[in-house]
Amino acid sequence: MSLARSVAAFLLLLALQGCSGVQSALDPSGTEAERIDTLTWLLIVFSTTVFLAVGLITAAALRGGGRWRARLANERLVIGGGVVFPIVALTLLLGYGFYLMGPGSPAAARADGQLRIEVVGERWWWRVTYVDETGRRVESANEIRLPVGRPVQVELTSADVIHSFWIPRLAGKLDMIPGRTNRLTLQVAEAGISRGQCAEYCGGPHAFMSFFAIAMPEDQFTAWLDREAGDARNPSGEDQVAGQALFLSSGCVACHRVRGTEAQGTIGPDLTHVGSRHSLAAATLENDPDAFVRWIRDGQHVKPENLMPPYEIFTDGELRQLAAYLDQLR
Amino acid sequence: MELKDLPWTTVAKMAGAAAGGLVLAGAVFILSGVYNIAASTGHLQITTWLIEILRERSIDVRSFGIKVPPLDEEGLIRLGAAHYEGGCVPCHGRPGEGINPIVGGMLPPPPDLLDVGERRPSEEIFWIVKNGLKYTGMPAWPDPRREDEVWAVTAFLARLPSASQIYEDLAGVTRGGRSGDEGLANAGVLTRCGRCHESEGTGTNGDRIPRLAGLPEAYLLRSLREYAGRTRASGAMEPVADLLSERERRELAAHYARLRPPAVETSISRDPEQLGRGQAIATRGIPREQVPACMNCHSGRQSPDFPVLAGQNAAYIVGQLQLWHRGGRRGTGYGRIMAVVATALDQQQIEDVAAYFASLPAGDVPQAPVAESSR
Repeated sequence: MSLARSVAAFLLLLALQGCSGVQSALDPSGTEAERIDTLTWLLIVFSTTVFLAVGLITAAALRGGGRWRARLANERLVIGGGVVFPIVALTLLLGYGFYLMGPGSPAAARADGQLRIEVVGERWWWRVTYVDETGRRVESANEIRLPVGRPVQVELTSADVIHSFWIPRLAGKLDMIPGRTNRLTLQVAEAGISRGQCAEYCGGPHAFMSFFAIAMPEDQFTAWLDREAGDARNPSGEDQVAGQALFLSSGCVACHRVRGTEAQGTIGPDLTHVGSRHSLAAATLENDPDAFVRWIRDGQHVKPENLMPPYEIFTDGELRQLAAYLDQLR
Repeated sequence: MELKDLPWTTVAKMAGAAAGGLVLAGAVFILSGVYNIAASTGHLQITTWLIEILRERSIDVRSFGIKVPPLDEEGLIRLGAAHYEGGCVPCHGRPGEGINPIVGGMLPPPPDLLDVGERRPSEEIFWIVKNGLKYTGMPAWPDPRREDEVWAVTAFLARLPSASQIYEDLAGVTRGGRSGDEGLANAGVLTRCGRCHESEGTGTNGDRIPRLAGLPEAYLLRSLREYAGRTRASGAMEPVADLLSERERRELAAHYARLRPPAVETSISRDPEQLGRGQAIATRGIPREQVPACMNCHSGRQSPDFPVLAGQNAAYIVGQLQLWHRGGRRGTGYGRIMAVVATALDQQQIEDVAAYFASLPAGDVPQAPVAESSR
């Protein structure tokens, strides 16, 4: 095999990787995404069939000789295949599409609104608030957790510019528009992790505005939500206590909230249980103490133009203490 | 043979020989040491004449288009006079007092600036103070990031000669004479600090100069180190901090941290609406505009590396926030944090919040945690 062909084959394999995994629309795990998947395949199969049929007819007309041409010039075939078939086929497809995706779709009917999740697009992260059956509000950020099998209404809006909320494995895109609330119903079929991404260019770090959606069995979800609703855990070790003192005295509290402490800022993400999240900085970094250190000191290199000021004022030791404190906020 | 009949090769050879002769003569002149570079011998009249034309044309053209801000504020003139006393007097002397014999031996000798305000328009004064002058010994302003300081000096110089009547008061020469702090290794240095900053019982020399009394020691020491390291920009403070030893910096920081702040002047009438707006920014911030509450760092309950702002001069706060807007305070890690906040404030908000802090009693530390900011 020549080098060029090997490279081409390799690139093709790379491209195929996109077809599965945490952020693939072709690997659906939610009701809405499954419908989109069905519709996608239906369209692909239908279009391919029509394309092949047209190709065959064209070939027959060119090469088939007089008998084929006479047959193809038949008026009934021209009117039937050229006018009636497209009208009927496209109308049916459009109707099916409306049925699946539009108002009155199976999903809209099932949105009972028992659990709501309000997601506000911010530059460049996600403010997430769970509102449960009793009206209890639980604020979190940069991650959404969903109970398996139960439809959940997600209310989308934006605090600044237009963002777009997209979890390819669970549902289609929906824009987040300032001053307007768009609603989406998510129903996840099985437990697991999906990745979401802002799908509307919203400024410099747009590409780093992602999140994980974690689907959990009902009982685990309820336990998780109760824990998430609670105040932050008190630090225990020496480093953690020192880290908390630094956090409270160095200005972090101006933007971040850690419930149960003096930190009551609302400009940036709520950090009450940040240590338990799947990622940091809107799915930009893994969640571990080293990542906290990097983010606090070099956040502008990790995610250029993000709105958190660079904190270069801490020594390595202080950064380690801060990271220890934040990491135990689980 | 007529000149025009000469072949061009001969003309070229003659021209080349002439040019070569000139270069040779120049080299002999330069390398032989025959030129007397002594300042004591002065210039030829024609040299002086040429240099003066060159200087005036250059100043005239290059100061064209400089927009002069309002320069008649007393605090600005006081700040300028105080800078003048520290940086300019060694060569130019105090206005009207003539120059000292040492600098009198310079060529050209630095002029007495008594009538500079009548001789030159403000933009020319600004341009010269900012950039200095070649071939004269006039240095450029120590930090190019601080045009605001240059404008202060310009404001003072533009007021000459009338300002010379009250020069000693303006420049703070008669202030802060107390060198009583016996334990201090540098009582003399402190006397000089006192020209601008507070002493026991006196406030600052005008409202453009920061109040230091009662500020956290760590913050004061950090600032002196930053000035000495030229990471924090100031044409006034960099040279001062540079002269101090680390021990002197520590002593001065401790001294000012101990000093009791003088009471805030209550005679100044303040606009209650403006104070209300300022208070809202200081205690709650403007979360929608990414402005956190100032009190989250500057109330005195947080890191001693952050300055307390209660009782600080409003004009100083405004000047520093504007400096952040112009990018002039991004030299330190602390400055880069504040840059994000300062640039989120607009001019009106800057003035409101500065007026609020100036109205608070100095050293006022709220006991309760700052009220939570709500969206």
